[in-house]
Amino acid sequence: METLRINGKEKQFQDGLPATLAQLLEQLQIDDATVVAELDGKIIERAQFAHTSLSSGQAIELVRFVPGG
Amino acid sequence: MIGPQLHSAFDIKVILAENRLDDGCEYWLGQIEKTKPADVERALSMPAGHYSFEKLLALVSPAATDYLEDMARQAHQLTIQRFGKTIKLYAPLYLSNYCINSCRYCGFNKDADTQRTRLTIEQALAEADILAAAGFADILLVSSEDTKFVTVDYLTELAGKLRGKFSSIAIEIYQMTAAQYAQLFKAGIEGVTLYQETYNRAAYSYYHPAGPKADYDDRLEAPDRQARAGMREIGLGALLGLTDWRIETLALAEHAHYLMKRYWKSHISFSFPRLRPAFEVRPEQFKHVVSNADLARMIIALRLCFADAGLILSTREGADLRDHLIKLGITKMSAGSKTNPGGYSRCSDAVEQFQVDDTRSPAQIAEMLKSAGLEPVWKDWDKAFIED
Amino acid sequence: MTDELIIADRKFGSRLLVGTGKFSSSQVMAEAIAASGTEIVTVALRRVDIENENDDMLAAIDRDKFLLLPNTSGARDADEAVRLSKLARAATGINWVKLEVTPDPYYLLPDPIETLKAAEILVSEGFVVLPYINADPVLAKRLEDAGTATVMPLASPIGSNQGLKTRAAIEIIIEQANVPVVVDAGLGRPSHAADAMEMGADAVLVNTAIATAAESTKMAQAFKLAVEAGRTAFLSGPAAASPAASASSPLTGFLRDDK
Repeated sequence: METLRINGKEKQFQDGLPATLAQLLEQLQIDDATVVAELDGKIIERAQFAHTSLSSGQAIELVRFVPGG
Repeated sequence: MIGPQLHSAFDIKVILAENRLDDGCEYWLGQIEKTKPADVERALSMPAGHYSFEKLLALVSPAATDYLEDMARQAHQLTIQRFGKTIKLYAPLYLSNYCINSCRYCGFNKDADTQRTRLTIEQALAEADILAAAGFADILLVSSEDTKFVTVDYLTELAGKLRGKFSSIAIEIYQMTAAQYAQLFKAGIEGVTLYQETYNRAAYSYYHPAGPKADYDDRLEAPDRQARAGMREIGLGALLGLTDWRIETLALAEHAHYLMKRYWKSHISFSFPRLRPAFEVRPEQFKHVVSNADLARMIIALRLCFADAGLILSTREGADLRDHLIKLGITKMSAGSKTNPGGYSRCSDAVEQFQVDDTRSPAQIAEMLKSAGLEPVWKDWDKAFIED
Repeated sequence: MTDELIIADRKFGSRLLVGTGKFSSSQVMAEAIAASGTEIVTVALRRVDIENENDDMLAAIDRDKFLLLPNTSGARDADEAVRLSKLARAATGINWVKLEVTPDPYYLLPDPIETLKAAEILVSEGFVVLPYINADPVLAKRLEDAGTATVMPLASPIGSNQGLKTRAAIEIIIEQANVPVVVDAGLGRPSHAADAMEMGADAVLVNTAIATAAESTKMAQAFKLAVEAGRTAFLSGPAAASPAASASSPLTGFLRDDK
């Protein structure tokens, strides 16, 4: 079973991993316009989401701006 | 509002120039003359010991003379609070009166036909021993610009040998480079005193016609170099009598304020050298003679603006005046000074830089202080704290 | 002559910074921010909750009108703060960051050592750093030496609304600072903000007091007026109080018949 560790939690992908980061966000229904992504500790530029491929076992951090003081 | 406006660069040359404190312009004198009692009262109601240009301007104005006793009381109180009922004592050690500058007001200027002396390291140490025996732990090495002999290496060697005898060594020597100051700091010299003499550029050119000291900017920026080299004590001053003392006080305060903000780990002191009779130099020749009352007010005003600045009084001033001035904010004074190289051991008849007026011995000064309710402090630090 | 707030290389007309946290809704937040006249709003960074996709509360903020200042709240040490800063920069392209390192979850007081460490790293990486600190004058100078664009001392703990508990220390910071001083945290009433500005602070940052007021928009307006009043008072100089009169002159009598 292919998995990704997203925001610290393991997620299994029964139908196989999304091919790219952009597709992952679409699958999760996350608007990519306000999200910052880190793949295995490296920050991915938004312009690169569609060109960043994923493989099983990778760790992804998805972070966005929220209200704060 | 009156007072210096925002300056475009954090640079003392720019601060003085943009605020017209170095060009003798009439504006500030006009403001000083226009100061009213209400302005002085406002200045005195501001928290004591904190600086603002407007406050100092009011305190040096003619209108402030009616408030002198109030000002003195505040200054006295503030000084006791910050420094205690103590006065530090130090002694100057003159190393040489050979000079390559031609300052018009100085008895050592290179064109003065006078007996010259320089002390070898051994002779300087002999002088120092006399001072140590008298109880001094704080020594100020003074020299005219004798760059052939009183070199950085000479001072480094001397400081190294004095380190064991004195807990605090400072210098009053011609302006140096940052690297030279750094070398001296490593050798054990912790403080530098260097007077701008006058912040007025035109007057500066007139009084310093030749020699390295003629470079106004280099002199002005020397305290920056001292601070960057790590010097803990930085002494400023203007030679009172060259130009209007009130403008010099304002410029001096801006200089100090700038240094305090920029080099927050260094401690700033003010000295008050007033033109004195010297060989071939008579104060009557100079137009802006500073009276005792003016001097007192300058000391008080600076204390009211700088709660923690050192205020230093040398033996240029007479005994009676000194005894009164020490209650107005002074934190440090010299005693039993000789301003000619070799003067302590009387090993030469070299000419003095200026005539000393308070000729009391250190022991007599200490007695005077005690009867004034002040404790003389000879030693304030010990290098043993920070050395292996 | 304008009295603009200058931070790093940018000028601002408003000296009130506003935080976006704790509001009841994004609409209330947007209205309050507009009423405050602010030009800088702080935001935080959090992991997206991938199970529940929330409304994006910040969609209501017009990024062209306000400078979005990300904070590193949640970071407990320098490494985490640096990481969050880089994430924030990747999101917006802006390299401004409010550095907040708060390992203490009760009072949310900032860790001075980790803050200094993070500031040094972030400055060297080209960030414009606005560090949140306790009102510690020496720490403020150390951060200034490290190259931060401001210092932001707290008046009292975040959300406590206690006002200028650290007044004496903030006075010293203001006196010694060569960078703008922004009083941040604990300003519970507009009068606190006016007081801080009268003392000479360059700006204030307010969040809880506005967000949790019964009427946030009105409170935001009150803070706006208070900051302007305080600043104007500071620029006009203090009123005189009359000094004590004295009949005798024990200290200066010696000068009377003197020359």
